[in-house]
Amino acid sequence: MTALMLAFLVGLLFACGAFMILQRGQIKLILGLGLLSHGVNLALFGTSELTRGAPPILPHDGDLTQMLATRTFADPLPQALILTAIVISFGVTAFIVVLASRRDAFTGSDLAPGELASVINTADPFATHDPHVALPEAADDYDIFQYELDEVYDRPEAAAEIAHEELDKPS
Amino acid sequence: MTLSPTILALPVAIPLAFAALEIVLQLLRAPRALHVQQTLSLAALLSNLVVAVILLVYTLSGGRLAYQMGLWPAPFGITVYADSLTTIMLTVVGLLALLLLPYAMASLDSRRSRLGYYPMALLLLMGANGAFITGDLFNLYVFYEVLLMSSFVLLALGGTPSQINASIRYVVLNLMGSMMLLLAAGITYGTLGTLNMAQISQRMVEAPIAVQTLIAGLLLIAFAGKAAIFPVFFWLPNSYHTPHPAVTALFSGTLTKVGMYSLFRTFPLFFPNLLVAWQPLLLTLAGLTMLIGVLGAFAQPTIRRLLSFHIISQIGYMLMGLAVALSPSPYGAGFGLALAILFLVHNQLVKTALLMGGGHVELEMGTGKLNELGGLVTRKPVQAVIFFVAAFSLAGFPPSSGFIGKLGLLEVTFATQQYLVAGVSLVVSVLTTMSMIRLWQYIFWGKAKTERRPSPHFASPTVNMMLIAPTAVLVALSLAIGIFAQPALDAARVAANQAIDRVGYIQTVNPQPLTTDVAAAQEQTP
Repeated sequence: MTALMLAFLVGLLFACGAFMILQRGQIKLILGLGLLSHGVNLALFGTSELTRGAPPILPHDGDLTQMLATRTFADPLPQALILTAIVISFGVTAFIVVLASRRDAFTGSDLAPGELASVINTADPFATHDPHVALPEAADDYDIFQYELDEVYDRPEAAAEIAHEELDKPS
Repeated sequence: MTLSPTILALPVAIPLAFAALEIVLQLLRAPRALHVQQTLSLAALLSNLVVAVILLVYTLSGGRLAYQMGLWPAPFGITVYADSLTTIMLTVVGLLALLLLPYAMASLDSRRSRLGYYPMALLLLMGANGAFITGDLFNLYVFYEVLLMSSFVLLALGGTPSQINASIRYVVLNLMGSMMLLLAAGITYGTLGTLNMAQISQRMVEAPIAVQTLIAGLLLIAFAGKAAIFPVFFWLPNSYHTPHPAVTALFSGTLTKVGMYSLFRTFPLFFPNLLVAWQPLLLTLAGLTMLIGVLGAFAQPTIRRLLSFHIISQIGYMLMGLAVALSPSPYGAGFGLALAILFLVHNQLVKTALLMGGGHVELEMGTGKLNELGGLVTRKPVQAVIFFVAAFSLAGFPPSSGFIGKLGLLEVTFATQQYLVAGVSLVVSVLTTMSMIRLWQYIFWGKAKTERRPSPHFASPTVNMMLIAPTAVLVALSLAIGIFAQPALDAARVAANQAIDRVGYIQTVNPQPLTTDVAAAQEQTP
């Protein structure tokens, strides 16, 4: 029963995560990635038999063969794997949040460049941009060279915002 | 020659130790930290290369090494394992990283180098080395993450809008690929009860076909994502042109190639049956990867965008070699894999050389747009010649390594009667040649454009030397492989035979079955 519930929950998390990633907007993307990684972690959790009230500790004097057969202790390995995976996905998520906020500073919007020009998603609760102040129609990676992209988004206020975050100013 | 297996810890330990030291120096803002970092990096990369070469010599003579970390018997501890396939990759990646050090020193702006290029490059090397030597599926995931984390930082280093933009796409797509790998590891543990690769190999062949298909599919998606194989390659051309050229060159030699190595390592080891059964699928993916990569390259207007599409195209050839690896052919089993390995090495050398040469032009002229370049051959004859040789090696002209690799792959594909994909690979070769001619012509031939003034920084002969000499070494190596093809092919055959030899892998790692271990533990318990 527990295993079945876990399986449904994993499926639900994957579905929600995939849905969120396919939405417009960076915040939804980050939330979707979080849901996906939770789904993977729960799936990892379900890879060992789910035991209740059985700590992952082998007593010194127990009968090991019998204990292995009856599974009267929890398998510690999936928990160790999940712990590692959580730490890694936490680090990566933090990095994406920083990248998103940087892009926010450059473009003044939560949306990716290009999307600003052509799509106005008024139903987006996270949208903070003014849809009438649009960037050039062609402002997307596919249509524009990196050099031009750098020029399009070279807003002086972004430079000022980022300047005080410099790790190491050239002396 | 006997070699203590403890040496297998060094390819990970050396870059890690030096990178940690460099980061501490940077955080302490030590005086002359940058120079110390460069010196430390040089020491780390040299010693790493020495270790790799020692291992290479040992394994090419038939030896294999396995070491159980912390002396926990397999499968309880983490196993590290090296055979010729591993050590060839260790050596080539170590060499590329070493050659890119002077390139980076001469070309990096002070901001990027102060923000930590050198320690991050070492951590990237550590992640790649770890992914090569590990004998544990979950550990492979961890080293992939180490590799990816440092590549995220390197990609965003400098923080221009286009870099940030590219980084978000790159991070998101790679993160999803990593989740697939993690899921595959989890399902492997849930169904086979082990994460040790030798033990997985033992148990996988007896597992139900549904389990095999599920795990193989997830691993294929995960590694294909890293290696930029057809349906999941979009992150690569979207990001590789944005960072500093030294970073792009480093990526081209490590990131996608680690994904390809993992396919070479895991598929013959875990799924010898599926590798044969899935041949049509793999060949289709290979053909589409080649074709779409090279066709995409034609539409690209800048040097590095064009070259990054060629990275994808060349990956298709390696996948083609893997697909025919276990098919019976007159050359013996594993010959396809041997050629795929040879092609992988060739591609690492040549593609990095091209990106280094192209990056040099881009840095010096301040643009990579093909229509704003031209006529550089009079001012930069040495560069033009080196780039020319590298470009034609990529296209597969004799006497370069590309010729040997492509000829061999074609022969073995013909011998296994896969005429369609062989035909596609021939068409792609012609298209690659056209694309390379176009690239060289736009940069070096024709009338010199006067709108762009070359940056004065690159007028210094020392800087020029540090940028051109590493490229020349790579091109010379490519020619050497082409001219001394037999020794190179022999080495690749040793590597391929060791990679498809499942019994040898299992015997070297020697995982203990759980029940006997319990029995042994019981005997020892008073």
